[in-house]
Amino acid sequence: MATTADSRPLPTPISPFRRWIISGKWTKAVVFLILAFFSFAMFYPFIWLLFSSFKTGADIVSLPVTLLPKKWTLGAYLMVMDPTRANLPIAYVNSIIVTIGTVISVLITSSMGGFIFARLEFPGRDYLFYFVLSTTMVPFLTLLIPLYIVMRELNLLNSLWGVWVPSIFSSFGVFLCRQFVYGIPRELYDAAKIDGSGDFGIYRNIILPLTKPILSALAIFVFLGAFNAYLWPLVILNEEKKLTLPLIIARMANRFGGTDYQAVMAGSVLVSIPPLIVFLIFQKNFVRGIALTGLKG
Amino acid sequence: MGTRRPPTSGNRRMTTLQDHPVSGGQTLAQLPVARRDSVWRRFRRASPFALIYSAAILIFYTIIFIIPFGTGIWLAFQNWDFITNPKFVGLRNFTKAFTDQYFWQALEKTVLFSVVEISLGLSIALLFALALSQILGKWQNFYLSVYYLPVITPLVVSIYLWRWLYRPTGGAFNTLLSSVGLPEQPFLASPQQALWAITLVVIWAHLGTGIVLFLAGINDVPESLFEAARLDGAGFWQSFFKITLPLIRPVLVYQMVVSVIGTVQMFEAFFLIPGPGFSTRTLALYTYELGFRALNLGYGAAVSLIIFVMLLGATVFQLRRWKIEWEH
Repeated sequence: MATTADSRPLPTPISPFRRWIISGKWTKAVVFLILAFFSFAMFYPFIWLLFSSFKTGADIVSLPVTLLPKKWTLGAYLMVMDPTRANLPIAYVNSIIVTIGTVISVLITSSMGGFIFARLEFPGRDYLFYFVLSTTMVPFLTLLIPLYIVMRELNLLNSLWGVWVPSIFSSFGVFLCRQFVYGIPRELYDAAKIDGSGDFGIYRNIILPLTKPILSALAIFVFLGAFNAYLWPLVILNEEKKLTLPLIIARMANRFGGTDYQAVMAGSVLVSIPPLIVFLIFQKNFVRGIALTGLKG
Repeated sequence: MGTRRPPTSGNRRMTTLQDHPVSGGQTLAQLPVARRDSVWRRFRRASPFALIYSAAILIFYTIIFIIPFGTGIWLAFQNWDFITNPKFVGLRNFTKAFTDQYFWQALEKTVLFSVVEISLGLSIALLFALALSQILGKWQNFYLSVYYLPVITPLVVSIYLWRWLYRPTGGAFNTLLSSVGLPEQPFLASPQQALWAITLVVIWAHLGTGIVLFLAGINDVPESLFEAARLDGAGFWQSFFKITLPLIRPVLVYQMVVSVIGTVQMFEAFFLIPGPGFSTRTLALYTYELGFRALNLGYGAAVSLIIFVMLLGATVFQLRRWKIEWEH
């Protein structure tokens, strides 16, 4: 038995754990755990938001504070849906009207503008385009007071039209679509032209379908921007029945903030749902959109 | 990488028949027979579609931009309170700003907030993007979505949520602090802490944008460069500073320019989270209060014009500095 033994020492067995350490794969695991920790930390406020919205008024101010409701209730949701106490349903309608209106108008004007500035010839075209681009250099804050005065002259105060009108065109959207249309072969345009299509027909039948990827990316940004807008609607609207969702949240916070903060939380949950749905549906377009928009340089 | 591409490919036109080479190395346009049309003839030849659109866009920007901007400049030289007639006061609104302690206070808060938000926010976003680039596939997408949630949540919602968490007694953060044995903090009730508490909310709310953009930039760096660096014996951090960072510089500059413009104009956070006294009144809030609370429209317009000039200067400065660095 022992006589036949090899005199060389047996290699010390390496435990799978040590092999894992040596191979360096552990760094990935550590990175993963750190990311998991931070994603939890970033999500933490939302957990409070969600659980607090199911609390009762006495529960939410009781000390010591607990994360979970002592008694689960939908009372806060009923409170904010009650038209005599909060105008949340009306604000929902208002917000959706303004947001959809803005998204549609920006998509139409941007895709048209992109096509026209990239492909059609007319005197002063490039000057007009540079002018449109240069308007972005002036911050909205600078235009706030005078734009309010203009809207007052136009009699658009306290109406959803006043909220919508300044965002019919988006110079950013026009710029984006122009870049995109440059990527569409010119031959397509020339061929359609030779076939006798008018410029609007070419836009409608060729350019519009081909710019769909950039438009869906643009739509998400415009949606979020319009839905979450606060300052301009705040300046324009003041009648309770006309307010959009972010404004109504602020009103509710003033009204319920003292003892019924769970109502603010419930309202917040309801307000966050539309952007969340849009984000979840268009998530794929979203990441692709950021690449397409060239925002990364 | 489209990094060397100029920001707008302005006058680029596709080659047309005019550029077509004919005999003698000339193009068709250079032949003596071709004359440029008069502006009027080019107008008549242009498609009605384009002309109608241009007219619409001109009308729109006249109402929404030219008239308000002109009004703003005019207003900055007037005194007006919406009720009495505007009175011309010359440069007094501007000289007033320079001696107005509230203006300087607001400027100080704005700069502090902007600098801290951008430097902290972008550093954290870059670190997260770097970490995310190490893990791939499903999990990368999952984390990305979680980090992006605060961005899509309406800022007003985030603000009221954080206000609730910041409460001195019974707030989630103080509960957390005391449970690990740290002293409770006043947060929004303290003039020293309020500005930083708000800054943290804004960083949290905007972090996702930075992460997504940085990650897209990092993913664009060719893998072969890292491979080569590894063969040359470069460590992770070395290849980060020597390869990744220089190559994503355009992303960084873009983000800085956009963040400066965004943070200086940040309104909701300061409007809806009032810190004690004037400790969190920034220029954006000051402009709003001058225009819509104090009804001092002329002075408000002057302050907002000063903001415009400062932002323009900051943007040009950043872009120019970047260009110089890029050439070296």
